[in-house]
Amino acid sequence: MSDRAIVIGGGVDALVAAHLLARAGREVVLVEERSARDEDGWVPPQIAQELSLELEVQRPDPWAAVPLPQGGRLELWRDMARTVEAIRRVSARDAASWPQFCARIAALARLFEQLYGAAPVNPLSFRFALRVRRLGRQAMEDLMRLLPMSVAELLDDWFECDALKGALAAMGIVHLQQGPRSAGTAFRLLHHHVGSPQGVFRPARSNLAAVLRARPGLEVRSGVAALITVRGGSVTGVALKGGEELAASLVVSGADPRRTLLELIEPGWLDPDLARALCHVRRRGVVARVAFRVPSATRLVLAPSLDYLERAYDEVKYGRVSREPYIEVLPGEQAMEAHLQYAPYARTDGAWDDAGRRELGELARRMLAAHVPGVADAQAQVLAPTDLEADAGWPEGQAYHAELALDQALWMRPLAELAQYRTPISGLWLCGPGTHPGGGVAGAAGYNCAKAILRRA
Amino acid sequence: MKRYDAIVIGGGHNGLVCAAYLARAGKRVVVLERRERVGGAAVSEEVFPGFRFSVFSYVVSLLRPEIMRELDLPRHGLHILPLESTLTPLASGDYLAQWNDHDQNRRELARHSLRDAEAYDEFGLLLHQMARIIKPILRMAPPDPASLHPRELGDLLRLGRYFKNIPKKNFDALWKLLTMSAADYLDEWFETEALKATKSASGIIGTLLGPRSPGTAYVLLHHYMGELDGVFRAWGFAKGGNGSVSAAIAGAAQSFGAEIRTLACVSNVLLKNGRATGVVLEDGEELSADAIVSGADPRRTFLGLVGEKHLPAEFLQSIRRFKFRGASAKVNLALAELPNLTCLPGRGPHLRGAISISPSVAYLERAYDEAKYGQFSRRPYMDIVIPSMLDPAMAPPGKHVMSIFVQYAPYQQAGGWSDERREALGDAVVDTLSEYAPNLRSAILHRQVITPADIERIVGLSEGNIFQGELSLQQMFFLRPTPAWARYRTPIEGLWQCGAGTHPGGGVMGASGRNAAFELLGQRL
Repeated sequence: MSDRAIVIGGGVDALVAAHLLARAGREVVLVEERSARDEDGWVPPQIAQELSLELEVQRPDPWAAVPLPQGGRLELWRDMARTVEAIRRVSARDAASWPQFCARIAALARLFEQLYGAAPVNPLSFRFALRVRRLGRQAMEDLMRLLPMSVAELLDDWFECDALKGALAAMGIVHLQQGPRSAGTAFRLLHHHVGSPQGVFRPARSNLAAVLRARPGLEVRSGVAALITVRGGSVTGVALKGGEELAASLVVSGADPRRTLLELIEPGWLDPDLARALCHVRRRGVVARVAFRVPSATRLVLAPSLDYLERAYDEVKYGRVSREPYIEVLPGEQAMEAHLQYAPYARTDGAWDDAGRRELGELARRMLAAHVPGVADAQAQVLAPTDLEADAGWPEGQAYHAELALDQALWMRPLAELAQYRTPISGLWLCGPGTHPGGGVAGAAGYNCAKAILRRA
Repeated sequence: MKRYDAIVIGGGHNGLVCAAYLARAGKRVVVLERRERVGGAAVSEEVFPGFRFSVFSYVVSLLRPEIMRELDLPRHGLHILPLESTLTPLASGDYLAQWNDHDQNRRELARHSLRDAEAYDEFGLLLHQMARIIKPILRMAPPDPASLHPRELGDLLRLGRYFKNIPKKNFDALWKLLTMSAADYLDEWFETEALKATKSASGIIGTLLGPRSPGTAYVLLHHYMGELDGVFRAWGFAKGGNGSVSAAIAGAAQSFGAEIRTLACVSNVLLKNGRATGVVLEDGEELSADAIVSGADPRRTFLGLVGEKHLPAEFLQSIRRFKFRGASAKVNLALAELPNLTCLPGRGPHLRGAISISPSVAYLERAYDEAKYGQFSRRPYMDIVIPSMLDPAMAPPGKHVMSIFVQYAPYQQAGGWSDERREALGDAVVDTLSEYAPNLRSAILHRQVITPADIERIVGLSEGNIFQGELSLQQMFFLRPTPAWARYRTPIEGLWQCGAGTHPGGGVMGASGRNAAFELLGQRL
């Protein structure tokens, strides 16, 4: 029996979990299935603190630039007064509502900041009830109303400007096969606001993955896990593709819960009911990424209205790529990447072959050409949902490993039985974005999982 | 000026239930109804000579059994005839039937999918368990979660303990049901498209949401709540139409001494020193009472009968944003002969049940797509019953009445509702239905089309919403109609609410009226 811990991963959560275990004195082998890429996501401060990390955080200002139908752009700044001034040019009413809207959402985000930095709460616990009550009447009522509602309803309550509503609503639907009029999307706007300063509705992007990959202290093996070996209900190690076997008494998987428990474990170790429930964890990918070798410093958002986003969603319900997708430019110094949604993983209107990729690249180019100089002539590199599955390890192209919807969030993520990072197999833990708090928060799942393991040891 | 203990505004079924319970407790009560008959949206009318219709609501499924018992409604003439099946014709020419008889249902399901036939019982069992959890909540006056009042705190604690005592597994299952879409939820259980579609259709009724919209799974439960009580089957039809339900409740109320006045339209609520003291009728008559109980929906009650200037700003804002968005229409047909379904020709037991035009989830979702942008569905979802098959007195001998519930026909219609649009909707309904029953068009003697705008105009339901406000999660329990005022009380002392715009709302259930009465009487439920 080895005292070694193996962390399976290719994402930032696995890196955080591995380094926390190593720091606690465990011998850790990281099976690096791919090199982790840095995605948008707030890094809870305790991670940087405990691992003594110096992180660089991108803070684009304006945090969003939205082209207006009458020409010009609506620019949303980190500075509240400047944003109010910018909004006033499109709607005086919205400008007046903006500070209050930001304050009300921020009050709720503070609660979630606490909830995300620890293992999921029990919603029926007295402590949780007290915590909610301490929010005060206003925030409590906001919380109860906001959680189940659609982001469109929330924004219609506050604003009239289509461009503003579209840019905010995008955070309610990003990486989700739902439209802005679907219930539960207001929660996602809140989710993606957690950790950001008041009035900023785009998650930060840091170099957490890059910093952790450069950090010593782990034995890193590149390879792909083929099997997690189990004996007598306890893990004994990991077998890699290619045949190498590594013994361990602790295996922490940053892979998605469905793959970890249904593909990497020999069937038979799992209760059939749990296996069936896992099969139903939704992870429908709807995102493609199109990179252009053109520098861009602006976070451009093409989501002109709620109806625009809703119509884009209408198509994906029937398996089609949106004819007019939601596009957001992720800035870069050498190259920019366009987030394009909805592009369904399981499309029925064609295939993700070279022709399908080319078509999508042209669509992105056509839509961006008027807004980003140089795109018209630059070469497009398309990552279809199938490519994102292969290259980034997003199952079915789903960046969050399990859709972040109310029934798969908090103490239900990915399933109530697995929400505390532990699995029914002794010594096997889950730490990927498929666990609480999920994608959009960088490293928190890995942090919470490592803490749970260490507390148990 | 006549004095009462309580004045109930609106003689809908909830108003009548509330009045009956107040009268039973010895209070002097009067019900004021604007129309010439009581019942609100639960009325039977002879729309065409010899043809009687449940003009608006048309089935009984959720009427609380305790109300049936306590008001002794059968003695006042309520007789429920069970609907025994639901038939879904398919595009392929086949059909899917769901029968009340367990074995027959299983055989039919197995014809489509063995797996679904196996899963069906387990699914039913789970939903029964969920319904059992929800049922006591329907009888509860929702506490104010932010209040420090000892009574509210006590109720909150009781509620917390209630949920703590149910197994966590069931709580999680309930959470899924509350937050998922009907389509996703059913995908976990079944594979037969028509079964999923027909079941998910119950989740979209009355709301402007599609089967793939989260929040629609919860209403699946409603089907299992009626069955659970064993008083009568899940879906039934009141002999004489749904007006009989109202008539029986009104009869019970009168037997306890309540006064019921029709053609008595309340123009506003009288306030003195911020307290409700009575009402003024349109003809100028004034009535006063200690308690004014409004059965009208929140928008009509507060923005109409009370008036904005008498209400606190924050409360007004939350009443204004209470969502209605009526999405349902009704088509009533007088028929010379029975429809002859291509998938199951001739007369048969299937015509004694419901016929559901919901061949696939995508069909329903497409119908919703059009409605989202302010068009009625060209090919709508329809729930059809032929009441004259169960109660021949509804139509002249040999002839029939057909009641068609249609969705989606959004209240917010691009360009507004007009006579032409109404008829265009009627045509879309008949055209779609004729694909499944080709003889229908020639069998039609008369046609009545009721749009959400008509429902609003005739019955007074804002935006034609059949539930007095959308039954979405953010408008339920302690949020219905607004936080802090979900306990049937209002910011105006002496003014109460008892309509479906309060918890638990929706359907011919009567629970809102009963809860309000108990709350007013200061009794524990």
